Amino acid sequence: MRHLNDGTLRRIYDEPLALTALDQAHFDSCTECKARFESIANAARATATLLSVPGFTPEPAAALRSVRIRIRADEAGRPRRWYERWLDRSSPRFRPIATPAIAVLLAAALLTGVTATGVAQGWFRVYAPTTVAPVQVGPSDFAATGALLDYGEVKWLPDAPTLHQLTDATAAAAQSGLPVLMPASLPQGVSGPVSFGTISHATGSLTFDAERLRASAATKGVHVNAMPAKINGSKLIVNAGPALLEAWGLSASASQVQMPTLVIAQTRVPTVDSTGATATELEDYLLSQPGVPPDIAAQIKAIKDPSTTLPIPIPRGLATTEPVQINGVQGLLIKAVLGAGVVWQKNGVIYAVGGQLTPDQVLAIATSLH
Amino acid sequence: MPDPFERLFLEEYPKVVAIAYRVLADRSAAEDVAQDVFIQFHRRVSPGDERAAGWLHAAAVHSALNVIRGERRRAQRETAHAVDPAQPPVASPERLVVEAESRREVRRALSRLPQRTAALLMLRYSGLSYAEVATALGMKVGNVGTLLRRAEEALRKEVNRATPE
Repeated sequence: MRHLNDGTLRRIYDEPLALTALDQAHFDSCTECKARFESIANAARATATLLSVPGFTPEPAAALRSVRIRIRADEAGRPRRWYERWLDRSSPRFRPIATPAIAVLLAAALLTGVTATGVAQGWFRVYAPTTVAPVQVGPSDFAATGALLDYGEVKWLPDAPTLHQLTDATAAAAQSGLPVLMPASLPQGVSGPVSFGTISHATGSLTFDAERLRASAATKGVHVNAMPAKINGSKLIVNAGPALLEAWGLSASASQVQMPTLVIAQTRVPTVDSTGATATELEDYLLSQPGVPPDIAAQIKAIKDPSTTLPIPIPRGLATTEPVQINGVQGLLIKAVLGAGVVWQKNGVIYAVGGQLTPDQVLAIATSLH
Repeated sequence: MPDPFERLFLEEYPKVVAIAYRVLADRSAAEDVAQDVFIQFHRRVSPGDERAAGWLHAAAVHSALNVIRGERRRAQRETAHAVDPAQPPVASPERLVVEAESRREVRRALSRLPQRTAALLMLRYSGLSYAEVATALGMKVGNVGTLLRRAEEALRKEVNRATPE
């Protein structure tokens, strides 16, 4: 089968579920298409950054009042403004689809262009999950001091991720750059308006610093294993988000805390690039540190390829998991007493559906998202 | 009971203003463009027309792009460099000035792109689906990805040309 064209690969980035079964099968097995997709995705991320604007929630009701007033005043007739004359000339239905000049320019841009961003030379990717795996955790597993140790300098480039709550689907899609997904139908008990949340894309860096770790461990009175020379001074660049959350059944009243009946979440896969240490070296070192329970370290080490697997924490004794197929990819079904959830990754996006539902209901929603 | 225009307005206004805002990066200017678009729509298109949404999206992006093209021409005549009034430098003056200048630079690059290329980019980055973009610009949905990819390259080159490293 022929390789997927750039347009199809570009669409996978924006609308990962729009791929035909044939194209999906090719994409899943073609390393060349995946490498081209990565380059195209980098260019799309760079463009999203270039074109980003601060958050803004439209106010349709107020705008409608204003438009009504203007329409009434407008009825009297007046000289036409420049943009009205322009709209007349360039009404979309009369515009040509493309002029030869534009076609030539675009072709030249494609032939001479180079990737806008991407992993520069000297960097290599140590983490980009393509599958999910459960890791059983207990309530006291991370109560130790390990998580509070200072491993080096953390910087956000330029800003830490921000969370926005919205009620409008269009604004949520525009802010996150991810399509708002809807199930074919909602199960009984799930109704009402949908609340949206978006988390912005963020890039952060961590520069490992053996001296800072030693000082931090001394302050806390814990013993840490010396940082290997290859890790000390090396830098990790973490790219995460954006993410889009859709929740049903949230109360409008802020005083009333309510669990949503259904949540649909999606986020672009996080990636980690490193200047020095490899994924295995980082894993070996970090999992040997104090505060990481041996049981969890063993579970993560047991994951066949940690650089492509997203560990999903499962509360020990409160939930069980089993592998399931979601639209051609393997996912993880989580069954708990109060509800169920399913997590899967497809075409560079991690999806999760969960709520106060049965496993069958969750699977029906997950497989019908569009 | 809302009339058909009101129904359409409440449904489409968020998209129309989002498109204008993505182009202009100025809330007040975007609201002005969105309202102008709806007034024009009210004059000449029936709210029941099946092409109503596509007309509104296309009119929003073309009208907003014309505003930044007009600003570019004005800037060529004038030398004044005022800070974006939509982003008053209150909290972190240096940061806000740098961000506003960066957004203006990107908008200037955008204004130099062919209208259709810029329109495609802005419709997609305003959150419209490929199907909606195709309807607004009168193209096949299967061509959106290819043209979008090329438009992204064209924008990148234009920005790099304006701000060489």
